[in-house]
Amino acid sequence: MSHSSDDQQKRILYANQLGKRVTSGERELVILESLALDVERGESVAIVGSSGAGKSTLLGLLAGLDSPSSGELEMFGQSLSALDEDGRAALRAGRVGFVFQNFQLLPTLTAMENVMLPLELSPRQDIAAKSRQCLERVGLGARLDHLPKQLSGGEQQRVAVARAFVTDPDLVFADEPTGNLDEATGKRIIDLLFELNRESGTTLILVTHDMALARRCDRCLQLEGGRLQALERQRQEVDA
Amino acid sequence: MNLIALSLKGLRRDLRASDVRALFVALALAVAATTMIGFFLDRLDRGLTRQAGQLLGGDLVLEQGQAFDDELRQTLRQAGLELSDQVDLVSMVSQADAFQPAGLKVVDDHYPLYGQVRVDRGNGIEGLAHGPPPGSAWIAPRLAQLLDAGIGDTVQVGSLSLTVTGLVEREPDQQGGFSGLAPRIMLNLQDLEATGLVRPGSRIEYEILAAGPPAAIDGLEGRLDALRDAGVEIRDVRVDRPSLGRSLDRAQKYLSLAGLAAVLLAGVAVAMATRRYVDRHLDTAALLRCFGASQRQLGQLFAWQLAWLGLVAAAVGALLGLAGQAALLALLTRFLPLELPPPGGMPWLMGVLTALAVLVGFAGPTLLRLKRVSALKVLRRELDPIPASGWVVVVVASLVFGTLLWLYSGDPLLSVGILLGGLVALVVLWGLGQLMLTLLLAVLARLPQRSQQGRAWQLGGRQLARRRNASLGQLLAFSVTFAAMAIIALVRGDLLTTWQAQLPADTPNYFAINIQPQERDGVETLIDSAADATSGLYPMVRGRLTAIDGEPPQQQVPEEHQTDGALRRDLNLTWRETLPEGNRITEGAWFDAESGSDADSATASDGSVPISVEEELAGRLGLSLGDELTFTIGSDSVTGRVTSLRHLDWESFQPNFFIIFPPGALDGFGHSYITSFHLPDAGNEMLGEMVQRYPGVSVLNVEALLEQVRGILGQVTRAIEFVLGFVLLAGISVLYAALTASRPARAHEGALLRVFGAGNRTLARMQWAEFALLGFASGLLGAALAEASALGIYGWLGLAPRMHWLMWGAMPVLGAAIVGGIGYLLSRGSRRQAPMASLRLLGET
Ligand SMILES: Nc1ncnc2c1ncn2[C@@H]1O[C@H](COP(=O)(O)OP(=O)(O)O)[C@@H](O)[C@H]1O
Ligand SMILES: [Mg+2]
Repeated sequence: MSHSSDDQQKRILYANQLGKRVTSGERELVILESLALDVERGESVAIVGSSGAGKSTLLGLLAGLDSPSSGELEMFGQSLSALDEDGRAALRAGRVGFVFQNFQLLPTLTAMENVMLPLELSPRQDIAAKSRQCLERVGLGARLDHLPKQLSGGEQQRVAVARAFVTDPDLVFADEPTGNLDEATGKRIIDLLFELNRESGTTLILVTHDMALARRCDRCLQLEGGRLQALERQRQEVDA
Repeated sequence: MNLIALSLKGLRRDLRASDVRALFVALALAVAATTMIGFFLDRLDRGLTRQAGQLLGGDLVLEQGQAFDDELRQTLRQAGLELSDQVDLVSMVSQADAFQPAGLKVVDDHYPLYGQVRVDRGNGIEGLAHGPPPGSAWIAPRLAQLLDAGIGDTVQVGSLSLTVTGLVEREPDQQGGFSGLAPRIMLNLQDLEATGLVRPGSRIEYEILAAGPPAAIDGLEGRLDALRDAGVEIRDVRVDRPSLGRSLDRAQKYLSLAGLAAVLLAGVAVAMATRRYVDRHLDTAALLRCFGASQRQLGQLFAWQLAWLGLVAAAVGALLGLAGQAALLALLTRFLPLELPPPGGMPWLMGVLTALAVLVGFAGPTLLRLKRVSALKVLRRELDPIPASGWVVVVVASLVFGTLLWLYSGDPLLSVGILLGGLVALVVLWGLGQLMLTLLLAVLARLPQRSQQGRAWQLGGRQLARRRNASLGQLLAFSVTFAAMAIIALVRGDLLTTWQAQLPADTPNYFAINIQPQERDGVETLIDSAADATSGLYPMVRGRLTAIDGEPPQQQVPEEHQTDGALRRDLNLTWRETLPEGNRITEGAWFDAESGSDADSATASDGSVPISVEEELAGRLGLSLGDELTFTIGSDSVTGRVTSLRHLDWESFQPNFFIIFPPGALDGFGHSYITSFHLPDAGNEMLGEMVQRYPGVSVLNVEALLEQVRGILGQVTRAIEFVLGFVLLAGISVLYAALTASRPARAHEGALLRVFGAGNRTLARMQWAEFALLGFASGLLGAALAEASALGIYGWLGLAPRMHWLMWGAMPVLGAAIVGGIGYLLSRGSRRQAPMASLRLLGET
């Protein structure tokens, strides 16, 4: 990626007039409509909304996992609509990390192998060392060879967090990462997420319906009726 | 019942799922293969017996030089046999001033018991189920030509004038008696007396042909023995079946083998598909548990569901099998009698039984998982019951398969042997597979990862090796599949080659027997003048085995063979310096190793006469090297010690002998000579000369039989090809089921990789690499398994074992291409979807 202008380097995600409609059966369902978003490098942004509001759909679009029905969308200064499936994947490779509600670990791979997977997509030498280091960082240094089913939910999600950060990504998406965990465990995961985010200077997009969680982000946006609207500005407080 | 209705409803909803379709296809194929082969073999066997009966003229034929008395006919009829009287003799037949020796076949009104006479009565050839009426004669076209006679002409037979009313194209019974060679004339028994040919001293053969069920013949055993002792020649269709025996026996074994292979493959497919089926239904099962269903009810529900599936699949499969065997038989009809017995009921039963057995054996253990599911799973997804261990599945499936083997083969020892061998093979394969995956990982780690391509292979290989248990399961399933397909294909090839080699173009089509020693040179010269291949002349001495190691043979042989025909009739003995062509020593050594060729040394070092015995006879009579056999020849006897056992091809159309003595040992015993030779069409005149110069020599034309053997082998070949196709289909169904079963896991992985930034191209390459590696490894292991099994199977089929180098090269490559290709295509759908859609499918929204 060439980052020609300062402006583009600062701006990591940009959406304008974004719309997503799906047809199920006869009826057309409008999930997102004329949505706008602008995220800068290093920011942490929370997207809140009730269940079924379209949060996951939006996240998928922002990450280039799906194509919008209308509107403009840029990631790292690149227009996603100008790229095909492979191009979007190439754009993500090594620069975008994900944490899912259901963890999405591969059940047949060990914790270590799960973390290694994103690194193996691009040529590099230090895959094992880097993965081990990351797992140690999330406190699972002793569980490298365990399979997901041998780990608790919280531990699984920690593996997923390690997997998301192992490539030193510019951007991390987290879709309700605590949705399947009890409160205490969920809190530990979120702490971890923010710590890693701060340490590596990543941009974080966090989807949640938990307002308390959302408030820990720089910015909080609410998805309602297919549009985003700012809830509060907290950046100054955090900076202060 | 409520559960049954519920299961039906569930099944109907399920029909769209690919694993249910795979289950269905696999089961239907298994049933189709077994019923098809079952129906076919059943009918073929009964048809061939019937046909042999037709060739012989009946199921039982009695023959002697004088008329039979009515008391005997009465006995035979009372036993439930249908009878026909026939008289054969040779006489001059004339028309105007043309004279010609002809074979008279005098038949009664019951002729023919089986089949039809193909005769031209002036309006084209028609098939008739009777012989000529009194006062008329049917003659062979050749006789018509020689006599310059046609339909409507009058011919003179002895002192009787008969009107020619038909030209016989083919008689259903083609057994050539001594009159078999001379051109034929067929007349009615009522006219025999009037010919004046029946005089004291004339050479006449009287025959009673009898048709009836085997039980009726068995019931007459005592009486028949007495008749044999009185010098009546008796032929029983079950014993004296034409020499197709071995070839067809092999073909039948091959077909059974193919049927079993199809069942095994279908079983593997079922096992693979069931895993996916169970995975898919775990949630439903947990919900039902929540709603209060007991484990028992749950088990019953899914058992019913699969039982329905099995029954429908069995019905469809059985219909397919019925159609398949009809197609197979259509390939064979030219050589089988028209009235083939209808399909029996047994194959139906076996088909349904097979389907249920395959379901219980291959799906059962995996299915039990559904029963054990916890209601809590509804709340906690990860609470899946532990999958049935692969070994439990293998052991249960093996037990069921072994039972099927036993049922099909009727041989418990063989079944246990195969089963144990199979399990050992599986363990070895499993170990080899582990080793291969470990090696793969090690090699991949050292591979340079510069190019996109290289990285895709590395990624694919790594995923394969890491998904160790699933990969091992597939590796084993595919190896077994490839091995089964390879064996069926290999055996087919070697079987056909053997058959072709067995009956070359110059296979003898005539036998000459009863050649007296003083006629020997003359006959040999005459035959050599026209034949393009001959077996050479073999001396023949007829002797009865009267002692084994000095004791009556009945006391020496295994109980079940005490009534063996070989103990009750004269055996053909010969002497010979060299091992006859086509014979193979299986134990011991041929004479010349220990004794010279001159008559003095016709004794072994210990002073006894060495003899060579045919291995099957030896097996039946429990003879082994070193046993002493005593033969009574006329009023004398001769004793020999078994020094070798021989294997010989009964279908070779060569003179074959159970017992061979060294030269000199049978000197002084009355003997005649026998030979077989191939006569090209042009050589026919020589036969006429032979009859005239050596009237005592009997010439048998086996051309028709030879043609029949060739024809049947040709048709059976096509049948075998047809069945091979079935096995290949079953194999493909395994691949389909296995790949379908693993599709969700791979789709999950693919979606994740795409989220992490793997492009479609990378993904496609990676998946191709993974499948191709899997296919390659399976091909390699499959080749090893096939080669190992071939050792046993070839021995069982009586084929010479050999290495199949081509297979070792071809199987890995083909495996990579086939598995890689199918896998690539099956995963194409998930690559086409947006990654978001894949994730959503995984329940991540
Ligand atoms: N491909 C699709 N087809 C049909 N409906 C969809 C599709 N994708 C999303 N939806 C619907 O859009 C709505 C928003 O879904 P989602 O983005 O998963 O919501 P959230 O994550 O906020 O709970 C839901 O009602 C969902 O059923
Ligand atoms: Mg969601």
